[in-house]
Amino acid sequence: MSIEDSQFLSSRRHFLARNAMGIGGVALAWLLHEQGLLAKPVKPELAGRSHTLLPKRPPGPARARAMISFFMQGGPSQMDLCDPKPMLDRWADKDIPVKIKYDDAAGASARVMPSHWKFKRHGQSGMDFSELLPGFGEIADELCLIRSMHTGVNNHGQSIHALNSGRTVAGRPSLGSWLTYGLGSENQNLPAYLVLRDPGSLPVEGTWNWSAGWLPGLYQGTVVRAREPRILNLEAPANLRGGGQRNYLDFLGALNRKHIRARPGELDLEARIASFELAARMQTSASGAMDISNESAATKNLYGIDEAATREFGTRCLIARRLVERGVRFVHVLSGNQSWDHHHGIKNSLPKACQKIDRPIAGLVKDLKRLGLLDSTVVHWGGEMGRLPVVQNERNAGRDHNTYGFSMWLAGGGFRAGHIHGATDEWGHHAVRDVVHHYDYHATLLRLFGLDSNGLVFKRSGREQSLTDGQPARVVEEILA
Amino acid sequence: MQGLALGQAATVTFEADVRPILKAHCFHCHGEDGSAKGGLDVRLRSLLLKGGQHGPVIAPGQAEKSLLFQKVRDGEMPKEQAKLSTAQIETLRQWIEQGAKTVRPEPDSPDEWITEEERRYWAFQPIQNPPVPGGAANPVDAFLLRKLNANALGFSPPAGKRALIRRATFDLTGLPPTPAEIAAFLADETPRAYDRLIDRLLASPRYGERWGRHWLDVAGYADSEGHTERDAERGWAWRYRDYVVRAFNDDLPWDRFIREQLAGDEMVRPPYADLAPDQVDKLTATGFLRMAPDGTGSGANNAEAKNQVMAETLKIVSTSLMGMTVGCAQCHDHRYDPILQSDYYKLRAVFEPALDPANWRTPQGRQISLFTAADREQCAAIESEAKKLDAERQAKVEFFIERTLEWKLRQAPEALREPLRAAYNTPAAKRTAEQKALLDRHPSVRQISPGSLYLYDREFNDEIAKLNAERKKVDAGNAADKAEALKKIDGQIRYFRDSLTKALLDTMAKKAADLRATKPEEPFIRALTERADKAPVTQVFFRGNHDQPKAAVKPADLSVVALRNNPIPEDDAARPSTGRRLALARRLTDGTHPLTARVLVNRFWLHHFDRGLVDTPGDFGKLGEPPSHPELLDWLASDFMKHGWRLKRLHRLIMTSQAYRQASRRLAKIDEIDPDNRLLGRMNVRRLEAETLRDSILFVSGQWNPRMFGKPVPVMEDEVGQYIIGVSTNDSANRPTGKTVSVGAEAFRRSLYVQVRRSRVLSFFDAFDAPAMEPNCTKRPTSIVAPQALMLMNNDFVLAQSRAMAGRFQRLAKGHLDAQLGLAWESALGQAPDAGERAQARAFVKKQVAVFEAQKEKQPGLAALANFCQALLSSNAFIYVD
Repeated sequence: MSIEDSQFLSSRRHFLARNAMGIGGVALAWLLHEQGLLAKPVKPELAGRSHTLLPKRPPGPARARAMISFFMQGGPSQMDLCDPKPMLDRWADKDIPVKIKYDDAAGASARVMPSHWKFKRHGQSGMDFSELLPGFGEIADELCLIRSMHTGVNNHGQSIHALNSGRTVAGRPSLGSWLTYGLGSENQNLPAYLVLRDPGSLPVEGTWNWSAGWLPGLYQGTVVRAREPRILNLEAPANLRGGGQRNYLDFLGALNRKHIRARPGELDLEARIASFELAARMQTSASGAMDISNESAATKNLYGIDEAATREFGTRCLIARRLVERGVRFVHVLSGNQSWDHHHGIKNSLPKACQKIDRPIAGLVKDLKRLGLLDSTVVHWGGEMGRLPVVQNERNAGRDHNTYGFSMWLAGGGFRAGHIHGATDEWGHHAVRDVVHHYDYHATLLRLFGLDSNGLVFKRSGREQSLTDGQPARVVEEILA
Repeated sequence: MQGLALGQAATVTFEADVRPILKAHCFHCHGEDGSAKGGLDVRLRSLLLKGGQHGPVIAPGQAEKSLLFQKVRDGEMPKEQAKLSTAQIETLRQWIEQGAKTVRPEPDSPDEWITEEERRYWAFQPIQNPPVPGGAANPVDAFLLRKLNANALGFSPPAGKRALIRRATFDLTGLPPTPAEIAAFLADETPRAYDRLIDRLLASPRYGERWGRHWLDVAGYADSEGHTERDAERGWAWRYRDYVVRAFNDDLPWDRFIREQLAGDEMVRPPYADLAPDQVDKLTATGFLRMAPDGTGSGANNAEAKNQVMAETLKIVSTSLMGMTVGCAQCHDHRYDPILQSDYYKLRAVFEPALDPANWRTPQGRQISLFTAADREQCAAIESEAKKLDAERQAKVEFFIERTLEWKLRQAPEALREPLRAAYNTPAAKRTAEQKALLDRHPSVRQISPGSLYLYDREFNDEIAKLNAERKKVDAGNAADKAEALKKIDGQIRYFRDSLTKALLDTMAKKAADLRATKPEEPFIRALTERADKAPVTQVFFRGNHDQPKAAVKPADLSVVALRNNPIPEDDAARPSTGRRLALARRLTDGTHPLTARVLVNRFWLHHFDRGLVDTPGDFGKLGEPPSHPELLDWLASDFMKHGWRLKRLHRLIMTSQAYRQASRRLAKIDEIDPDNRLLGRMNVRRLEAETLRDSILFVSGQWNPRMFGKPVPVMEDEVGQYIIGVSTNDSANRPTGKTVSVGAEAFRRSLYVQVRRSRVLSFFDAFDAPAMEPNCTKRPTSIVAPQALMLMNNDFVLAQSRAMAGRFQRLAKGHLDAQLGLAWESALGQAPDAGERAQARAFVKKQVAVFEAQKEKQPGLAALANFCQALLSSNAFIYVD
């Protein structure tokens, strides 16, 4: 993947500081070099390497160019939402006759708990969603529902890492970091990888959710905070907003112009002046992308922004669309801490969790479709696990963790629309048909971006490391359009 | 660029022209390691004539009829994507056309052959002491001028005194000069003024911090183990950092500095106890060889990680001291330099007794304790008390397990209680199928364990709540047996209260932990030592695979520079250790080694002029850059050695040169003839490095904490994942808790003392190109990207420091805005503002005061001055040095 070559460094840094987006002669030279068209000796890496977010051409054909991932941290209950299990009704309140892998000890019970909610088939595909997700029902024909997800580690943290960074340990680069490392960004005025966090709390594993791990810090997710400044370092300090910072930049510009007059021809100095101008443009772009005031009432209605229950989440969905429209590579929309971890009281808490996201996400998918962006944008919905068919906590029933078989869906970007892939057993506990491991999902996703899970590597400590790193990852051809 | 053009002889020969091409592109499949695809070995002319399964591949005099030429011309060979260049193909053609000549008879075997031509490479020649050309008092100038004059150039005019003091102060201390220092220098009009300035700077303790940092880049200094995601912290690496700073400040001769770093342990007789200070120093120095990432201390104690520690250590040693990319010979002979694969393993053999995979020691297991017997006694006494507390807690755990079991059994049907109890009390492996099935139906019984007890507290708390409600009801009523009933309820409440586990067990655990925390901290040295009893056999690994060892090798220096009599013993009988490293260290510093001194002086030069005489300071091989001034490089190296390997003397020599003192302004003539300024007809303009920038901001803001040495300042993640200075208070799932732990003035120490955790490079440093140590950095890049501008515009650190700076100058010149502006300006930029600049500054502050007043800012004057300071700190005049 390396496009680094010291012979271009000097000219490149000047170019970057001024306008990193255009493809000029310099970029062209890198592309030629990248393709190995010249038998140049591979130099040992001695000098520190520099990295950029310039757009990079993936080695393979790409269907997708952006991704919006909705992370429902805690683990949505598949048998209550999208994987109906009539068997549970037949065995209601009886001891389950099969072995269950429990996580929590104290509340564990063998008693079967049927779903409280009715299911219906939707669209031409006849995809099942329960009455908690009417919006998802409306977009069923756009979705590729996988019912056979598997990570096999029954803790939130480890399973989050598996799904978001390829293996069960903390400290590795997240999916968004890999995509921006592999592809750069199409908009140099915005961060390539943005994280729209929940205003209340962070998911389990906190900042690791958007960590660049051992990839260069440049590829780390940039967080949009719930309070000012919404993006650290990308917004002026509160007391300098408005004209204040412009005055500062003008004064700084005057200082620098006088300085360079005495040092004519010093390209670095010019480049740094240009880098401040680019930074100012980035600030404007970022705040422009976040500002939804000019969106029509109809659009706001589509995302549920006109209703209290969906306003906050709908706003983030709409911002996600605006970012993708502007060429941002990866948008991670996070739920709050354990907001789908329904160990108890599932009867009241699951409907609330669903209500918050159902209409906004459905609105986003419809909107992307309307704008012609869905073909090139992957939308992902899912948590790090699903839940068990038996009761947890008799007094206030919920469901315990289940990472052995759970559901998530993908839409757009080359995924097969209106398709259900894989199945769990009749209890909904274990994925039994067409199992998709987290690494299979990753290999498939990278394929759609024109990347190869074995080819997209980063050399570190003498080893080439990748997102799937030595796991037997398989591209799941069956879920590709 | 000029450099050393070896020049292509009129006749194309196998050794000089053809073999290097074949070696780089063809040996791998056709000759190396017994691989001869198509039966063809191309490593000798005779073997090309012998050919492979299609017969001879060259027909001397007839390129077009030679298979070798046809294949490369048609792009069929090499099979990899990278093909030969047109020039290389043409060389092959000419060679065959001219009769496929060799310079001299070839050896019988192509293995381990280093050609005369390879041996003649400049970097392997003895260091010369060339005569100093005339024309300048300072030899540095004489050499430079000769080349400048040859190109119709000369030196630029001298830099102004202000530019000069700023340049020298940054160079030697990494900090800007103060206005007082500037004034003193300006006022000193004696001829010795500049020499005195250099003397003062070299005597400053800041000098060691500045130059120590340069060396720590090459040594790959880090406070964490790296390799794995865990990236465990290294508790005691900082002693090596402090050793380096002291060595620079003390002007420790470099021959000794190198010997101590490579073999300090071999100079101290074991056992390493009750050590004298100089012995502690020598052992600490070997921390140099403990800087490589070490997965075996970070959750990966496996063969691959051990091998990697060795590989990275060799990379650090060879790039820092030999300027050779020896690591390229780990799998096969170096493709471009005459470094044999066996050379790599001979060098490895020097270090293997200390880094022996067969008798591996993890980082913890390698530490040397500085504890005294009295310290140990005190610890043992505390530990035995703590063990008593552990035992008390364990008894309580067992009590709780019994309680919890009783409680869960009470919820089960009566008939199942005894069978369940029996099943639970049977060890898992011995349970009958029936018992297992029974427990599967009662998972909440099965799962009771010391670790899960706290989960059951919820049910006990529910019971307590219920009982309290009942008690209230009974208490409000007037039943005859009220007192009796209340007593009964209270008893039940007490029972459940006594069953609550978490609070009590946590308290008990904390009590033991608190007691243990009163032990005196055991100080360690992170050192490299050998085990006296075992000297391993080093073997060449087939294609670098550590699980495919082949022929055994003995310790030695690289063949191409090795002495006829190998001075490196297998086992020095006079010492408990093998003596291998000490012997290598002596060889490297014996004054005749062609690489060591050249590599060192080049590195020193680089930090004065922004570019080395060899611009690839870690690679003096064929892929590196040739020296711009080979005679000067040699003269400096030999002068350095002749005068006791003393760096401070070399600084004086370089910094008093006309070359160093000239102006940096670009001149059309130089730009035309020498656009990269390799001839040094002017000084280079340089950007401050990441650490220097942060240090300088702290210095002018007045917040700077000058404390030297000791444990690193901690680095933490903030809520968005930026790395900032501080103590992390995230919970076990890495979520911010909102708590803060003040690190006080530690936050304002020099960057050198900020923890270098490989996976958590301070975001400010990261933005300004600080290296991630994997494993080391021989040259830093300097990028110019918008995130750096954003950092200077909006980052909390910069904003806070700007405010502190404003406060400082408000206090210093109370009520005199003009003086405040002038002082701030000169402190940051080293220049006093002229009248126009003063007016501009005043106008800006006035404008910002109005902005802040309109926003009802409490101290609009301070805020405006702070914003002015911020502009100074983000200006090119601050970030760059002329």
